Amino acid sequence: MQPPAAPDHPPSAEPAPAPPGVKLRLANVSKVFRNNEQTIEALAPVSLEIREGEFVVLFGPSGCGKSTLLNLIAGFDAPTTGEITLEGRRVRRPGNDRLMMFQEHALFPWLNVLDNVTYGLRWLPNFRFHPLRRRRRAMELLKLVRLDEFAHASIHELSGGMKQRAALARALAPDPKLLLIDEPFPALDALVRAKLYGELQDILVRTRKTIVSVTHDSREAACLGDRVVVFTKRPGRIKAEIKVDMPRPRDINAAAVTAYAAQIAAQLEEEPRENDDGKRD
Amino acid sequence: MRTTTEKGTKRYVAGFYLLLLGGWQTLFSLQLIPDYLFPSPLQVGERLWELGRDGLLWPSVSATLMRMTIGFSAAAGLGLVVGVVMGMNHVLNQCLRSLFLGLQTLPTAAWVPISLLLFGLSDRGIYFVIVMSSVAAVAIATSDGILHIPPLHLRAARTLGTPGYAMPLRVILPAALPGIVTGVKLGWTLGWHGAVSAELIKSSVGLGYLLYMGRELNDVAQVLGIMMLTILFGLLLDRFLFGQIERRIRTRWGLTSQS
Ligand SMILES: Nc1ncnc2c1ncn2[C@@H]1O[C@H](COP(=O)(O)OP(=O)(O)OP(=O)(O)O)[C@@H](O)[C@H]1O
Ligand SMILES: [Mg+2]
Repeated sequence: MQPPAAPDHPPSAEPAPAPPGVKLRLANVSKVFRNNEQTIEALAPVSLEIREGEFVVLFGPSGCGKSTLLNLIAGFDAPTTGEITLEGRRVRRPGNDRLMMFQEHALFPWLNVLDNVTYGLRWLPNFRFHPLRRRRRAMELLKLVRLDEFAHASIHELSGGMKQRAALARALAPDPKLLLIDEPFPALDALVRAKLYGELQDILVRTRKTIVSVTHDSREAACLGDRVVVFTKRPGRIKAEIKVDMPRPRDINAAAVTAYAAQIAAQLEEEPRENDDGKRD
Repeated sequence: MRTTTEKGTKRYVAGFYLLLLGGWQTLFSLQLIPDYLFPSPLQVGERLWELGRDGLLWPSVSATLMRMTIGFSAAAGLGLVVGVVMGMNHVLNQCLRSLFLGLQTLPTAAWVPISLLLFGLSDRGIYFVIVMSSVAAVAIATSDGILHIPPLHLRAARTLGTPGYAMPLRVILPAALPGIVTGVKLGWTLGWHGAVSAELIKSSVGLGYLLYMGRELNDVAQVLGIMMLTILFGLLLDRFLFGQIERRIRTRWGLTSQS
């Protein structure tokens, strides 16, 4: 089968002045980890602009620094060089304007489903002293992910897929400017995943969130992304960007998704095998 | 190993205790030891019933439980606060942990003489022994619980915008709860040891006091009876109160395989 012709999009190299509509801007962001004797260059300088409402997928081999980059954007860690700005403001620490969804669900077991979703609202000025308003907002989100019947269930009573949906509701509740997703649904079986991809897109179309997500599954990247940014091996640098031009919602098993996935995966295979001079992965 | 049903296991346990009582009674019937040194289970039961009838038993049971409630509440509160501070400050943790581990090697009864010197024969001395017996266990378990919080929970709390001042109560304490209840359970047992030890010497009411009286009166039946009651109450609270809470928390936190 012939892969659909994707518009050629050269990797962005040097930072240009931000055009309007740019939500998140990475300018020469790199990360070097220094232990006692070892220094690990996890991420080579990366420049990237993400527009309002865009779903960008970071795709690359294991250990290329995808999670590292997401952590920098979330503010858990400071970049070694470069600058990250969200709506022109420099990112310095974690905050609920850039909510992160983790590989595991990370729901709080001491709270029930509803209280998990209201938790993040507590710290917003609009909701600070309005428990009823928090509750109403949380119930809206739980309806959106179809968990309203489980509002008062404990976390351990939910299935894996339900936990991920609850985590999504919790992350969407404070209406973050940016949603960061590290490997959306890794520990789920294929059927549940396929269903969740459909739901996730459905929700995203409705909420128009700006999203940066990480994956090493090319099919997932093709299914979810408006734009897929392909990284090289460690130290990760941007190798290519692929625009995925398909209407949503996309079925993960559709032929067009398969074609895009092949195109994305091909970017990795073209990579020449370098000498890894004994660096551990 | 073959798994037995919950009900079947309970039956075996009940049978074991019946066998134990039967063995005791048989040993008594053989008359190998004179009966003023080795009473039968029936005599022990009878003695306890007499104590109850004469109004000596219940005031002592309630006095010991009351002292434990007060003393252990203080110990748990103190241990919790110290444990949280330890869990959040590495240097303090290293210092206090070694101190507490050292103190924990001390038998709880060893706190009685110093409490006598400091507080005389007052109830405050008993509280002192309870607190000193159990506070270290609670503090260490709390700090361990905090140090073993999954980093994921802390990161989730931060990305959700939790301000620093709200972290201890909203996140750190609840996340550390499984470790904390284990410490509280252990602390309760140690405090119970301490309370009864202290009452042996410096009280006019309480389970320890009744033990002491039994010895003074050469009443082996009373001594054995009170020992059994002490075990019973210790077990009841440990197993059925704290054990129940612990199990529920571990299930909810997803720390047990079976629900
Ligand atoms: N805190 C740290 N200290 C030292 N090295 C680190 C640290 N975090 C990550 N690294 C290193 O940085 C590199 C990139 O790690 P990262 O977790 O970002 O990879 P990844 O692309 O997310 O991989 P995967 O797809 O397997 O999750 C790895 O080689 C890793 O060993
Ligand atoms: Mg990763």
